[in-house]
Amino acid sequence: MRGLLQLFAAYGNFLLFGFLELLALILVVSFNQRQGAIWDNSWGMATAALDQSADWLGEQWALRDELIKLQGENIRLMEQLDNARYSNAVRQDTFLKDSTEQLFSYIPANVISNSTIGTANYLRLDKGSNHGVRPNMGVVSSDGIVGVVRAVTPHYSQVMSLLHRETRIKAALSNSGYFGTLTWNGKNARLMQLEAIPKHAVVAEGDTVVTSGYSQLFPYGLPVGTVKSFDFSGGGNFYNIQVMLRNDLNKLRYVYVIENEMWKEHKELDEAVNE
Amino acid sequence: MNNTVIWNIIRFFVLLALQGLFLKRISDGWVTGSLYINVFLYPLFILLLPLQTPRTGVLLLSFLMGIGVDLFYDSPGVHAAALTAMGYARALFLSLYEPREGYKLNDKPTPAGLGMNWFMKYSASLMVLHLLVYFSVDAFSPIYILGILLRTFFTFVSSMAAVLIFVFIFMPKR
Repeated sequence: MRGLLQLFAAYGNFLLFGFLELLALILVVSFNQRQGAIWDNSWGMATAALDQSADWLGEQWALRDELIKLQGENIRLMEQLDNARYSNAVRQDTFLKDSTEQLFSYIPANVISNSTIGTANYLRLDKGSNHGVRPNMGVVSSDGIVGVVRAVTPHYSQVMSLLHRETRIKAALSNSGYFGTLTWNGKNARLMQLEAIPKHAVVAEGDTVVTSGYSQLFPYGLPVGTVKSFDFSGGGNFYNIQVMLRNDLNKLRYVYVIENEMWKEHKELDEAVNE
Repeated sequence: MNNTVIWNIIRFFVLLALQGLFLKRISDGWVTGSLYINVFLYPLFILLLPLQTPRTGVLLLSFLMGIGVDLFYDSPGVHAAALTAMGYARALFLSLYEPREGYKLNDKPTPAGLGMNWFMKYSASLMVLHLLVYFSVDAFSPIYILGILLRTFFTFVSSMAAVLIFVFIFMPKR
């Protein structure tokens, strides 16, 4: 109450001025035909604009739901592909036992932070162990491979980007099937290096580079990029191949984490060998 | 002091009647049937209020005068909005044009009281403000801005002439 009185003492004249002006303007639009018509018209336009903004917001929310639905749809389709399934086909005499089991399944995720500037880049996803993400899972987008999960928390996961000086991913030339190791020299965010393709392989500019399938991370045949140039500058028996990435890691938004359903068997085998 | 109050009350009704009964007919083309001149003399009432008038009183009186003129012009609120704005701005312009030695107790806001130069600045500023607000509220849309400015200019010339004539007839220099 005291504060209110002080307010009136300090701004009383201004408040009175505002009140009188408001009163006058209400009289103007209520009792003058022309000004009243202009007012009604403008008010109608303003509320229509407000309506439109509200509609737009609603549409954005509907789009978000649509996006989640489409991600689920994509996963269903990707998991149907041959390279995501384990084939039991074995020929025994004339009897062909042919059935498949799920080998790779996908978890949709959104990129919430990303960098492509340094030589050791990471990105962060909004899915974690609560959603089934574990370390050492591959990450792909609709345009190609992105990286490998390094660490997870219940809600988030840290992904080592392809653009990391320690990246070693087996990749193959899809024409010839020769495979090598994909590395990054830290210079250009669109160019990676494919090493250890032997000299006797036939390489041409524009050849497609795909994942080799020789790892538990990625299914066979996911797109990586195309051969941009190649030489033998090292002087050895292997090509130096520059690969133009198909995926632009600078504008990544939606990705899929790849889960290998048979990772436990691989682990058991690894342990058996190491003993 | 009492004398001043009575004079201001008389001036209120004289200016209101002059504006509503005489000057309005000029703007309706009364004189020759073809001449349309807006002359606004009634803001003079606010201009001539004593310097010591409380700001609240100035605001209420300007609203009252505006409503009174609106009754004659059949435009409820338009003159009131403009004159209230002018009444609020009066204190601002008074402090803006305050003489170096400040206002004295017996100073009157007239050419005789504070000088012709001071009165011209003071009345012209407030008259421009009043007319701008008046024609803006009258047009009620920014798309008429050119018309608003033209009317403000021509009405300013005629109104200031009327204000000066009134002041020199009724308040000659002593």
